Amino acid sequence: MSTPVVFDAATRVYPGSTTPAVDSLDLEVRAGEFLVLVGPSGCGKSTSLRMLAGLEDVTSGAIRIGERDVTHLRPKDRDIAMVFQSYALYPHLTVGENMGFALKIAGLSKAEITARVTDAAKVLDLEPYLDRKPKALSGGQRQRVAMGRAIVREPQVFLMDEPLSNLDAKLRVSTRTQIAALQRRLGITTVYVTHDQVEAMTMGDRVAVLKDGILQQVAAPLELYDKPANAFVAGFIGSPAMNLGTFRVEDGAAVIGEARVPLPRTATAALTESEVVLGFRPEALEMVAGYAPDAFAVEVLVAEELGSEAFLYGTLEGASLRDPQLVAKVAPRSVPPKGSRVHFRILPDRMHVFSPATGEALPTA
Amino acid sequence: MTTVISAGPGHEPGPARRGRVRRLLDRHWYAWAMVLPTVLVLGVLVLYPLFQGIYQSFTDLNETNNRDLICTQTLGGGEDCVPNPDRAQFVGLDNYVDLLTGERGHFWLLLVNTVVWTGACVFFHYTIGLGLAVLLNRTFRGRSLYRVLLIVPWAVPAFVSAFAWKFLFNPRFGLINSLLSNVGIDPVDWFNHRWTSMFAAIVTNVWLGVPFMMVAILGGLQSIPADLYEAAEMDGATPWQRFRHVTLPGLRPVSSTVILLGTIWTFNMFPIIFFVTGGEPAGETEILVTGAFRAAFEGLRNYSLAATYGVLILSMLVVYAAMYRRVLRSKGEVW
Amino acid sequence: MSRRPRGRDERSLGASVALHATLLTATAIALFPVLWVFLASIKPQNAIQSSKVTLIDHPTLENYRHVLFDTSFPTWFLNSVVVAVFTMVIGMAMSATAGYALSRFNFPGKRGLMWVFLITQMFPVAILIVPIYSIMASLNLIDTKASLVIAYCTVAVPFCTWMLRGYFDTIPRDLDEAAALDGLGPFKTFWYVILPLARPGLAVTAFYTFLTAWGEVAYAIAFILSDKKLTLGAGLQQFVPQFNPQWDLLTAGAVLIMLPASLVFYFAQRHLVAGLTAGGTKG
Repeated sequence: MSTPVVFDAATRVYPGSTTPAVDSLDLEVRAGEFLVLVGPSGCGKSTSLRMLAGLEDVTSGAIRIGERDVTHLRPKDRDIAMVFQSYALYPHLTVGENMGFALKIAGLSKAEITARVTDAAKVLDLEPYLDRKPKALSGGQRQRVAMGRAIVREPQVFLMDEPLSNLDAKLRVSTRTQIAALQRRLGITTVYVTHDQVEAMTMGDRVAVLKDGILQQVAAPLELYDKPANAFVAGFIGSPAMNLGTFRVEDGAAVIGEARVPLPRTATAALTESEVVLGFRPEALEMVAGYAPDAFAVEVLVAEELGSEAFLYGTLEGASLRDPQLVAKVAPRSVPPKGSRVHFRILPDRMHVFSPATGEALPTA
Repeated sequence: MTTVISAGPGHEPGPARRGRVRRLLDRHWYAWAMVLPTVLVLGVLVLYPLFQGIYQSFTDLNETNNRDLICTQTLGGGEDCVPNPDRAQFVGLDNYVDLLTGERGHFWLLLVNTVVWTGACVFFHYTIGLGLAVLLNRTFRGRSLYRVLLIVPWAVPAFVSAFAWKFLFNPRFGLINSLLSNVGIDPVDWFNHRWTSMFAAIVTNVWLGVPFMMVAILGGLQSIPADLYEAAEMDGATPWQRFRHVTLPGLRPVSSTVILLGTIWTFNMFPIIFFVTGGEPAGETEILVTGAFRAAFEGLRNYSLAATYGVLILSMLVVYAAMYRRVLRSKGEVW
Repeated sequence: MSRRPRGRDERSLGASVALHATLLTATAIALFPVLWVFLASIKPQNAIQSSKVTLIDHPTLENYRHVLFDTSFPTWFLNSVVVAVFTMVIGMAMSATAGYALSRFNFPGKRGLMWVFLITQMFPVAILIVPIYSIMASLNLIDTKASLVIAYCTVAVPFCTWMLRGYFDTIPRDLDEAAALDGLGPFKTFWYVILPLARPGLAVTAFYTFLTAWGEVAYAIAFILSDKKLTLGAGLQQFVPQFNPQWDLLTAGAVLIMLPASLVFYFAQRHLVAGLTAGGTKG
């Protein structure tokens, strides 16, 4: 039995500021779902989470957990648990006391607390450390204690604020899968904040992308990747990032250097300007030998050969992109040398077209 | 942590003003509750007397005219009160004029003494404290023992150290004079000359005040990241240059605070002058605070004159603190 | 002769000698007046004031016997302990709660309060004695220990509050938030989470408030009228008549006064650096 969470036009304006940190956020987190809030720093993702936690005032709008309106409830009355970026473990309490603290405050019996702490410790491999102070633990162990503290509460909602950002790269990858697996097993609705789009893509059932306090798109990871709603989402999701550039439109084709790249008719029909924002992912590029009308020339600056795949970084001739360099995925082990000049064309159905005025995606099919 | 509105959904906003007060209370009541005891005590025992003192400095209040009523015991055991015909009167700026022109008291002498006293004490507190802190900030054996022993003067009550030093400076049987005569210098009659007397007081206060500075600066030193020193060393800085360009700037937040506090404290440091020199010779080593105290408590107790001293001291320190802040700010310090 | 190259953290012999020589000198100066008073206190009365200065001269405990059994010293001592302990407890309670509020909450009146703290440091205490005396008189507190405790709190609390605020600022706010989610209100958060973590800061506060009360003279003389209620600082003034200080009683008394102060000092000293730093680095 898990609970949905609803943000209903929830807005947060910090005192002394005129622009909202979170602007009228409408978002439904489904029961039992793992939802990731992602965006660049300052986009309002942490503020949204803290509004849900009750650590941040809601200026207007409402937040509901299940049927309950929690907008003005105190944190402790919301039946939620949170994992902090810094873990926020009480330094003067042992691991076991840290995990059982909320239960103790809630007035549970000692036996009950011990039972629940031991259970959680078993799940998280923390049993040998229950009597230690947080100081004596490694970063990964502390992270698990923070998780354990949330689990023992058996709350309706888990909140996680960049819980992996203090771990080293390797540990982050393994912990990532552990958290996702644990959440699926417990089936508790979870809201997870991160700035790392790889974490977002790998962990979330659905991902919500925020920018400047405004929700850009909520969708399953692959849908975000394949059908970004606007140029920002397109550029933010995916690594290496999508190539984006603004190009002139002539006779239903975008002018990229000497190449004429035909645009889908549905897109040109929706287009009101004489320019277009074109997006194409590194793997949507095909290397062509010699001349083709829709192929543009690229001078290779750097080649990254990773063994199983390879990426070329180069400059576009006669045109420019938002990022200074174009990225293309090429077949490994036969990469063109640095300084060479190669031609690419965009695979026709892998092209993203956006309005230059609004950044919104234009229909391509 | 930001405060959280605890008003429930059923909370109806009343008339605008009452609703506002109510909201403020809901939101801030525990912060206010936490500062309330302090505010009450300070309000009653510091702010109220302070304003009273400012008022009194414009009157001629003294021991003889401080009653509003004169009461006589009647035969029935009750009291009969009539307004005091001689009660204190408003005299405008008379007290200030008298003090500043030297009509009464020796304001300018006391001011010079206070400035010399404060300047010398703070200078030696800071430089000696800094020197010892830098030494103690290294790692070597016995460091924590040195640290404990060097802080000892802090734990000695001020008047005890005053007596201890007065004892050492005693012209007849003091250790300092007997040491001097051992190396062939004539004994000094310390408390018979203005500046030797002041010197004795300054030595005492420096001895007393260095530990606080040392501990505060030591804390500041420990908060300077070690990699700054390593970076400076990689850049080829000599130890002196590292001190000059890493240590001193890194200490600035601590230094600016302790120097300001130290100046204020020393300016108003009462017991040392009072007990070590007692103003000897003939009041030539009084500072403003002891002068004010004597006005208030010795001879005819002149409360209004003491209050006038107090207001002058307060205004000088406020001006000093404001200028100090402005200078710091112009140098880009956030304070 | 080949020598092992000096490691990074070692210093030359000369530097070591200079370091220790400087520190030894400083330590000697720091300790000597205290030691000298002690040495004087175990000399016979006439030897203390002899112009022939000696370190030790017929050591005797006569002065201590005299102070402890022939004067009101023990009563004063007890009074001082009571006053100092109450000042310490009340002063710590006040400055810790106020410091926490100033560190964590933004509330109307906060800036004003910070200013009052600074102004309080500037107004000479010596001059507040008269008005505070009349307030105490109207509250019928003259000649009571309570009057001293309250007066000492006004002296110690502003600095302690300011210092503890600095210390609380170094405790991550995440902990407060975690406590809020764990179900603690602001007061319980303060009690169960913040206070246990603020031990160094509290140690300095304890030390400072205790010392403020322990050896204070001016208020004690002004507020306490009866001999039996005097505190040490005030009582010892009786050994200093205008022209003929009784050095024998004075030195022995001074040594006895320093004992409890050193005890408090001993417990606090480990925390002094950490506790004061936080206050010092924050303006």
